[in-house]
Amino acid sequence: MIRCFHVTKRYGAITALRDISLQIDEGEFVFLTGASGAGKTTLLRLLYRAELPTSGQLIVAGRNLATMPRRQVPRFRRRLGLVFQDFKLIDDRSVFDNVALVGRVVGLSYTESQRRANELLRLVGVDGRAQLFPAQISGGEQQRVAISRALMTAPQLLLADEPTGNLDPDRAIEIMRIFRAINRRGTTVLVATHDPDLIAAMRRRTLILEAGLMRTLTAARKVP
Amino acid sequence: MMRLDRYLRLCFGEALRGLIGHRRTAAPAVMIIAVSLVVFGGFLLVSDNLNDLLDRWRESGHVQIFLEADLTASQQQAVAAAIGASPEVDSFRFMSADDAAAQFREDFQELGDLLAFLEDNPLPASFVITVREGSRSEEALVVLTQRLGAMSGVDAAQYDLQVIRRLELGVNAVRFVGAVLGGAVLLAAIITTANVIQVLVVGRRREIVVLRLVGATESVVRGRFLAEGAIQGLLGSLLALLALYGIYKVGVAFMTEGGGPLLSLIDLHFFDVVLFAILIGSGVAAGLLGALLAFGAATNVER
Repeated sequence: MIRCFHVTKRYGAITALRDISLQIDEGEFVFLTGASGAGKTTLLRLLYRAELPTSGQLIVAGRNLATMPRRQVPRFRRRLGLVFQDFKLIDDRSVFDNVALVGRVVGLSYTESQRRANELLRLVGVDGRAQLFPAQISGGEQQRVAISRALMTAPQLLLADEPTGNLDPDRAIEIMRIFRAINRRGTTVLVATHDPDLIAAMRRRTLILEAGLMRTLTAARKVP
Repeated sequence: MMRLDRYLRLCFGEALRGLIGHRRTAAPAVMIIAVSLVVFGGFLLVSDNLNDLLDRWRESGHVQIFLEADLTASQQQAVAAAIGASPEVDSFRFMSADDAAAQFREDFQELGDLLAFLEDNPLPASFVITVREGSRSEEALVVLTQRLGAMSGVDAAQYDLQVIRRLELGVNAVRFVGAVLGGAVLLAAIITTANVIQVLVVGRRREIVVLRLVGATESVVRGRFLAEGAIQGLLGSLLALLALYGIYKVGVAFMTEGGGPLLSLIDLHFFDVVLFAILIGSGVAAGLLGALLAFGAATNVER
């Protein structure tokens, strides 16, 4: 699903990622960890093609991102689901509209968008909050809404950047359980987090970034 | 590729939602488009009515032969026979000096009393000639007028060319001033619309970021702002049409009551379908251009 070959990303004199090579197979659930500034967000931004690597090759969902023309980025992103620490919900739209809008902007019919949004909100357990606005629900609920939005295009790969950074430990575990359920349905999941407790609780393969270098690849362990 | 009906529904639905939500921001753009189109449309309306008057005048193909004073009846008959023998003449009628005075009083009601102050009627007797349709070109009318004017017993012959020319100059001047003024105000409207849409774009920065992240194409991201520009232009032009219709109605009532000499000859009318479409089209185009100018702001939002 993801293959990086000697990827380096520089911002002027600063090297954010240095010679990163990694592989994540279809159906895997992988953590990406490291201290703040280690390069986790930069790597994710490269993976969803918000930026291009300075050197190296990146193949995601069968597409070589370095050679992909900009006009093909929207279609590529529909294969991904993106979840962020700050949820990135649209404040003046209801929970339901935040999710259903995605279907409509990618070309689904109004009815189909409504149907999928209802289904996904039910899946993550916030269907009772559908008519409320983001500011009227808790952080954990907002992240669930963001997850259901990410699933609207039935993505092959879910990328989450510090998805539990704004949540208390209990809510964080709930979010991880949702990710695990999504992964069990066949979606590859990559979660960037600096929370060691969460990684320990989930027991999945973990990639460790240190100052832009991929230091360790811990082996996957069985989920109890 | 998104289906066109879904694309239009999405863009216009989102645009309406955005405009209703930010109506206070959008109102100035709608108002300035309306004002600019009232100026532009006002000149268009005036020049169109004057143009119709000119066309009617041109198509009438009238030549008037003014007879010398103290012409005998037989001399008058000789002139009439010569006119009747001309192949270009379709019909003609004699207008005595008294008929001419009566006509003057009718056409120029406010000035009609002038004749009462004069000892003698200064208006000469004349023949009013209607030229055949095939001979109404400017060149043919000039030749006919010169030939009839040279006849014995004829003081002067004229057709309406000079008046038409002067009116044409007037109509062109109205059009020019209208184009310059309307164009200037329309430009201001485009810039205002662009600024308004830029404000809307900045206000929806987060939404644009989200849309791009979930896979919305640029045509979707920008289409709604184009639709917003078009809707603002449409609303502005509809407001302008309402205002112009009000002005037109008041103007017609005023003229009918006042009975001005020249205006009484004009068959006043409001916009026809073509001018209606031009006005609406100008408003929509101004809104679209404003939206296009504002695209820089949308482009700067993170991809």
